[in-house]
Amino acid sequence: MPYNNTIGNIANIPYWMGSQNPLYNIIGIIIYVIIISITFSIFGYVVGWLERKLIARAQNRHGPTYVGMWGFLQNFADLVKLLAKEDIIMERADKLLFMVSIPLILALSVFVILLFPYSPSLQATSLNFGLLIILTIIAFFPITLFAAGFSTGNKFAGISAQRSVLILLSYEIPTVLVVASIVLISGSYNMASIVASQSSYYYVLLVPIGFIVFFIALLAEFERPPFDLREADSELISGWLTDVSAPYYALALFIDYARMFLGSILIAILFFGGWLGPSFLPPFFWIVAKAFIISIFIIMIRATAFRMRIDRILRFGWEWLIPLSLINLIIAYILFV
Amino acid sequence: MVKLKVDRDALLGTISKMKSEGWEFLVKITAVDYKDHVDVLYIIRDLAKSKDEILEVTLQPTDLWLPTIFNIHQSADWYERELSEMFGVEIKGRLVPRLFLEKWDGIDPPLRKSFVWDSTYRTSDDKQ
Amino acid sequence: MTITRINIGPVHPSTHGVIRLVVDLDGDTIVKVEPHVGFLHRGVEKLAETRMYMQIPPYTEKLDYVAPLAYDEAYVATVEAALGIEVKERAQYLRVIELELQRIASHLLGIGTLCNDIGQMFTTFMWAFKDRDMVLDLLQEATGSRMFHVNMRLGGLHSDVPPDFVDHTISLMDYMEKRIVHYEKYIEKNTTFKERMVGVGVLTKEKAIELGVAGPVLRASGINYDVRKNRPYYVYDKFHFNTKTLYDGDNFSRYKVRMLELKESVRIIKAVARAMPDGDALGMPIKLRSPNPVNRIAVVSRELPRGECLLYMVADPQKPYRLSIRSPNMINLAAISHMAKGARFADLFAILGSLDIVMGCIDR
Repeated sequence: MPYNNTIGNIANIPYWMGSQNPLYNIIGIIIYVIIISITFSIFGYVVGWLERKLIARAQNRHGPTYVGMWGFLQNFADLVKLLAKEDIIMERADKLLFMVSIPLILALSVFVILLFPYSPSLQATSLNFGLLIILTIIAFFPITLFAAGFSTGNKFAGISAQRSVLILLSYEIPTVLVVASIVLISGSYNMASIVASQSSYYYVLLVPIGFIVFFIALLAEFERPPFDLREADSELISGWLTDVSAPYYALALFIDYARMFLGSILIAILFFGGWLGPSFLPPFFWIVAKAFIISIFIIMIRATAFRMRIDRILRFGWEWLIPLSLINLIIAYILFV
Repeated sequence: MVKLKVDRDALLGTISKMKSEGWEFLVKITAVDYKDHVDVLYIIRDLAKSKDEILEVTLQPTDLWLPTIFNIHQSADWYERELSEMFGVEIKGRLVPRLFLEKWDGIDPPLRKSFVWDSTYRTSDDKQ
Repeated sequence: MTITRINIGPVHPSTHGVIRLVVDLDGDTIVKVEPHVGFLHRGVEKLAETRMYMQIPPYTEKLDYVAPLAYDEAYVATVEAALGIEVKERAQYLRVIELELQRIASHLLGIGTLCNDIGQMFTTFMWAFKDRDMVLDLLQEATGSRMFHVNMRLGGLHSDVPPDFVDHTISLMDYMEKRIVHYEKYIEKNTTFKERMVGVGVLTKEKAIELGVAGPVLRASGINYDVRKNRPYYVYDKFHFNTKTLYDGDNFSRYKVRMLELKESVRIIKAVARAMPDGDALGMPIKLRSPNPVNRIAVVSRELPRGECLLYMVADPQKPYRLSIRSPNMINLAAISHMAKGARFADLFAILGSLDIVMGCIDR
């Protein structure tokens, strides 16, 4: 295996620097963080703009047009507007939890994003259990989301938090089961080696059922339509964001794109061969391009789907996704191990 | 359209008898204030023959009450509430929350002719 | 059993106006819904007692701001019945066309907002709104205004239509036919839509009669009552059309009745437009004093897009002594406490959307 570091070898993080000097390591970490942060900020911004633009086109509208070319700076203007507004924290809210929980969700997402390998030379660490760590951190989302919903003390936010936790808990299982089938085939929890083992076939060809299950489960986990019960605007006004205003609201909007980036990169790594691609462009370009296409697909679902009801979502998860992911696991075991 | 004058005491009996004869659809309960008396109208329909009939109950302004027909026609619910708020007709036999549309307490019923609206409820802007 | 009491509205994304619903939830199941109305009460019935006959249409139009022309016509027809005025023949044809156009516009909005309430992100709503806009353009051609037309006059219309109006109407109806089929395919093939609609918010036939609901809600519960068919007015009895009745009484039937009515409206408009006679369609100018009433009491019922409206008028010379309006929306909304009982919380909004209420009409 090309990337054979041992677990806990955090000091070796930027081994693409080719040095064991700790100073270089720290500089390497900083450069890495800056590159990834810029990438995913631009990615989130562009996807956010495209979301407004593409959905507008699907609905016979123009979308934003005034600020910047084709309204490209509209989201930026909205951000400035939100930051300039007064942030109101309700008296009934748990202030500490309220102020901590939303930044915490973003921090968790960014943490996961920083753990991904983006190319053979651009990865923070090559932990042998990288995938497991990422799944563990993703499992923290229900707690933080629940805290964010309940801390405002709003009833709509409370219902939204309950729904969100219910969905996350039941859709975590198929996610992990599908990941297990991938691990069976590739023989490693190391994401870099998972990507490397896809050089002949992308796993989407080997485990098509697994891909479909994983995609649906991720849509549900990141609460994109038709599973967007957390923000069900026709029922819960704005769900967990009902009482959230100004900078927190801007953060909360950004969380959506951070999580979408996270999910797209994860799908790209597990099923679409990560950074593998024709060599005339750098590997980093390919992984971001793949994630971008997946994100666009997720966006376009939003333009057409009706929202599902909570009992139906849960039943769908337990009756379809979990059996399918088990079948997928068995097929993967029989055929590829 | 047939109009039937009904006595207040005979109202419940008439309506339930009509219901058993096929007049089962209550269209509307409304009232007209003629200053010396108030007419309460029950518009009831036979859906099969698509005919309407109006039951008219005449009430004296000093003695404004009616028995509820909610137990016969459930659709009377909101109409009776509206009647009691807009005309001050007391509905006996069930608890009618008084405030329904206007939600002003302690004033004359608004749809009665005695309601003087252009002098009492003029805002301060109008006076200037 | 812990009951959560949730207050929805008066300001809420899917209450279609200002209505307050107090919902008691047991878990995710609705135990009780209590609607509170009156936030848009403007006292139109009282106001009408102080105005001349033809000063009132602007008020009655604003009752149902989604289908203003229909209310306009209902009121003017009541006055005509009281004053004993005959409507000119061409005006009758034109009124039918305008009413049906208004019905199309109203139902398109109703279906669009229903999809919105079920949780689609405005897509059907926007498409329907575009088509509704084309209908409104046509109405503008006929009446000179897009939203509040005030086009009805005693005995006729305010103005005759331009000469190419009939051609435009028929070509728009050809387009509309295709669009309606498109909507039907797009919406009904969606399994999520069907899941959310079929078997939810059931109103049985007996209960529908007991609660006295009106219009599409009544017809979706298996009662074939349509004022256009049962008590024809104008030229409705000269043309063949079907009233659509479905028997399930759930959300889906209510939606489907509207969809089928759209098709029937298109048929009616085409037939009426082709058969339209020449002649004079103008009514009495507003400036003239209206004639003295022939009948002291006029009762007129009309099939508005949202159900049957019954106007009871006691007529005085020059102005009504009392105008009483039976609002179809009000009685439909009153039925929600029965329909939503036992449903899921998310279904409440699907039911509310399928009732297609307009608060201006409820509060009057």
